[in-house]
Amino acid sequence: MPASVVFDSLVRSIQVGSLYALMALGLTLTLAVVRLPNFAHAELITVGGYVALLSSLWLTHSLFVILGLAFIGSALVAWLMHRAVYRPLARRNLSTYGMLLASFSVGLILRYIIFLLVDRYGLFDKHIAVPVEIWYRTPDVILTNLFFWSVPTAVALMIVLSLVLRGTSLGRQMRALADNGILARVTGIPVDQVHDLTWLVVGGLAGVGGALWGMYTSLNPLTGWLTILSVFAASVLGGMTSFTGTILGAYVVSFSENLLMQWLNFRFGLDFTFKAAVPFVIIILVLLLRPAGLTGFAGSLRKLSRR
Amino acid sequence: MNIDYVATALALLTVFGISALMALSLNLEYGVAGVPNFGQAMFVSIGAYTAGVTYTRLLPWLGGRAGLDPCGDTLTKALALRTELTTLFPTVGFLNFGLTVLIALLLGGLAGYLASYAALRVWEEWYLGLILLVGSEVVRILAQGYPPLLCGSNGLSGIGQPFVWVHNATWSAALFALLALLLAGAAYLLCERLVRSPYGRLLKAIRENDRVTLGLGKPVQRRRAQVMAIGSAIAALSGVLFAVNLGFVSTNDYTVALTLDVWVMVVLGGVGNGRGALLGALIVTVLNRLTAIAAIALNAMGSQFEFNYVRYILFAAILLLMLRYRRQGLLPERARTTIAHDELRP
Repeated sequence: MPASVVFDSLVRSIQVGSLYALMALGLTLTLAVVRLPNFAHAELITVGGYVALLSSLWLTHSLFVILGLAFIGSALVAWLMHRAVYRPLARRNLSTYGMLLASFSVGLILRYIIFLLVDRYGLFDKHIAVPVEIWYRTPDVILTNLFFWSVPTAVALMIVLSLVLRGTSLGRQMRALADNGILARVTGIPVDQVHDLTWLVVGGLAGVGGALWGMYTSLNPLTGWLTILSVFAASVLGGMTSFTGTILGAYVVSFSENLLMQWLNFRFGLDFTFKAAVPFVIIILVLLLRPAGLTGFAGSLRKLSRR
Repeated sequence: MNIDYVATALALLTVFGISALMALSLNLEYGVAGVPNFGQAMFVSIGAYTAGVTYTRLLPWLGGRAGLDPCGDTLTKALALRTELTTLFPTVGFLNFGLTVLIALLLGGLAGYLASYAALRVWEEWYLGLILLVGSEVVRILAQGYPPLLCGSNGLSGIGQPFVWVHNATWSAALFALLALLLAGAAYLLCERLVRSPYGRLLKAIRENDRVTLGLGKPVQRRRAQVMAIGSAIAALSGVLFAVNLGFVSTNDYTVALTLDVWVMVVLGGVGNGRGALLGALIVTVLNRLTAIAAIALNAMGSQFEFNYVRYILFAAILLLMLRYRRQGLLPERARTTIAHDELRP
């Protein structure tokens, strides 16, 4: 392959991988702590993107304010979702299938409300209005400020989250809940409060992910739904409970979607339409061959053997 | 607004028959056997794609005029040939339709069986839902990305229903509606027989607790795979009817939205109750038609409102409300007592 193509897709792999990692960490947290396969996670990403878009259009071009607002907006939506739908249903002992169906419905409702609003105000395929500058240029590769913002932001948030999980009492409580929900409840951990905070964190991470995604490509109401598959694949690669595994998984998914796909196209002429199948193949292979994920239970939030 | 009542009624009946097939299939899989099939759209689409392939390859061959490429330069010619064959030669059309149904049943069953192989060997119960939901989207994208199948994203038209040769449009529609209802009725009877048999009781036992059933020495995985094969075959049958009713096959019709429709039918009507599935299919069919009429009326009044979005919100809200307040559906599953073997003896 020509060097410029290699560098280009390498850069894209790193950038997209960092964003996948941000989004997938939230998903892994919900899976581990709340034990809910949340399909509406996709819409949290979209909401974050649109909050960022609106604030960039009306308020400011400052990156930190935009990302902060996206964090808050998605966090609130996630919290509302939990309080209005998931918690009442979980209290009535709905089966996992029922919860899956419920999260699917919540996602649909949010997605089409966004569709209605976006349609009404003509916000399809918009870019978040932040100035784009070229910060680094060689004959082979051009790096913009977006790259130097999104990757460090994602990495910084990952570090903060892992410090919270390891060092603070909230993190300990989350891990306890992930490990054994009933035992955690018996020990007197304020489960409701921890769930509330978990949802806020999950929503916020997804929101920031969506906002950065919207700067990198364009936004439409299906943005979240189209990325959620890769995000699930990253989470599955992490064994659905492992923190490091999820981050690793996000980069694996991103590299296979971009660099590997590019190579397959170059070498075997595989059409780029099949890129959509990459995360699916990863999910199937992992679930069948190595359900514990990349890192096994080494980095798992729920250090338990099977079941 | 001028409405042709007979035509509307016939269209509603046809769609009801097709929806009933989909709902019965999901009810057998999820309601009775507890397999959460979130890939209903994929199994329906298998039937539809089969119809797309047979109408473009098998039908010309049966009519003795094979070898015309359905896409590309010869697109209009191939379409004219399809239409000619289905309207002028009833026997060829019938033979083709019958073979389509047979192939679709086989392919659907096979797909269900294969899907169960991958999906039932996973750890936590909901992984299956994830795999099927995701799988159906991927199959759709691949079908769209492989042009020889359905001419890519353009789709295929001229997939006429088996009674297009009847000159009177009303009679033609009535015959097709009758066929759809007959097939739905047959599927209903089949499902009822299955559910009331020892086989059906085993399926319910698996749904209630698969470990206990496994512990009793029952072949849990094999039964689940079989029920997915049966359910998917019925779904593929509904897909054939769906396609010929529209007269058009395109990958865009078999999205997650279709899966949502079928789930609303089952959850609304009654999980595990065949009659509930029928009721759910009826309600969803009528609601779909009403929202379509409302959308047309609103557009005529000059509203800027995209009503299709509201339909999704409405259906998702119905699902949430049912899950919250009436989980067993409008017609709950009734407990069936089977008389002891001794009492049955004279």
